[in-house]
Amino acid sequence: MSLLGRWHPGFWRREPTATLGRDVDFEAVSASGLDDLQTRLNHWSHLWTQESESTNRSEAQQLVAERLARWMERCFGQHVQNSLRGEGRQISLATSTPIFTAFLGRRATRELSRRVLQDI
Amino acid sequence: MPRLVRWIWILLASHLALGMIAFAHFLVTGQYVVLGWYFWALGSLFFLVMTATECCLAIICRSWFDSDEPMRLAWGMIACAALARLSGVLLRAISDGHLPWGNWHQLSQPFGGLFASLSQLGMVVGGPLSMAFLALGLARVLGVQRKFHLVGSLTRGDKALLFLVLAFSVSQLSNDLPLLWRHPSLGTMLLWLSDPLLSLLLVEAILVRRSVIRMGQGLVSKCWGMFVLAIVITSAGDAAIWASSHGLLSESMTALSWYIWFVAAAAFASAPAYQFAAISLTREDSLHLQARR
Repeated sequence: MSLLGRWHPGFWRREPTATLGRDVDFEAVSASGLDDLQTRLNHWSHLWTQESESTNRSEAQQLVAERLARWMERCFGQHVQNSLRGEGRQISLATSTPIFTAFLGRRATRELSRRVLQDI
Repeated sequence: MPRLVRWIWILLASHLALGMIAFAHFLVTGQYVVLGWYFWALGSLFFLVMTATECCLAIICRSWFDSDEPMRLAWGMIACAALARLSGVLLRAISDGHLPWGNWHQLSQPFGGLFASLSQLGMVVGGPLSMAFLALGLARVLGVQRKFHLVGSLTRGDKALLFLVLAFSVSQLSNDLPLLWRHPSLGTMLLWLSDPLLSLLLVEAILVRRSVIRMGQGLVSKCWGMFVLAIVITSAGDAAIWASSHGLLSESMTALSWYIWFVAAAAFASAPAYQFAAISLTREDSLHLQARR
């Protein structure tokens, strides 16, 4: 179709030729996979953010925070966590990744994240 | 301390120990033969090794950042500064065997042409050009540090130091500018930029030092701390040259002040070595992981 043809009113009124089949069974997919996927995503997002309001932190979250603190001390120094923790937030992958990426580079930060999340 | 940094400082200590023997010989005999040979041969070799190390490490550090990352440009500028310093040392060593540190105040006499000699070109490349690259690189670093609120406010001591540096820079320029009517060479005029550029570097160094204090004693903060140390030592060396040219230093003190440039070269080389150590730390760990699997 030419570019000018797209301005024809008939083009916009036309029904799409490919429509979803009514017989697609979404329920079958959600039952097995989506719950599992949701659980996994929640787990990783908790590890990634570690929000301050969550008082009962899991062992895995605790481990990630400890490892991140150790890496930050090795790379930047003992005071940098206080500078980044301005609003009273816990150190997490989400809060520490920007500074690691800025000073070590994206590739090194990826390796570092892999190291932090090892065996979790 | 990372292995590479340790080697740099061991090399410096060994080199200075040899230098002290040459200096002791000068003090006892009053002759420059051994001291001259030390600075001409070992000194030039030391500068070549240190600047080449700095240049290689800075290029490696740059290569670990992607093209859209701001620190790639910063490390690119630092690599250019190191390359300019290396080129300057080579040009001076090749041209006439002049010492790489120095008595360029003698060469600030008016000359004809663009550059008086290859040696002067070496001084311009290794001096103001290198400083300009480093100033651009550090400005970029300061921008990144400011983004993370790492640049603290200046103390009274910092402000006093800044005032002194600016006053010195203005006084040097006021001495040099009246010489313009003698139509000096381009090289000579470019060498006049050394002091203002060094002042700019000192201002940046003071700001970087504030951020280093806020971070602590990690590898990355030590990297920038080494740049601060190198700039401060370079300024001290520059001040020693100025004091010597005004007859404020004795002959032995002047000879002793030449050693300061070796410490500056080692500090410049240590800075990218710390960054190299910080980045390779993550890679080493991942390599160990792969080996274990």
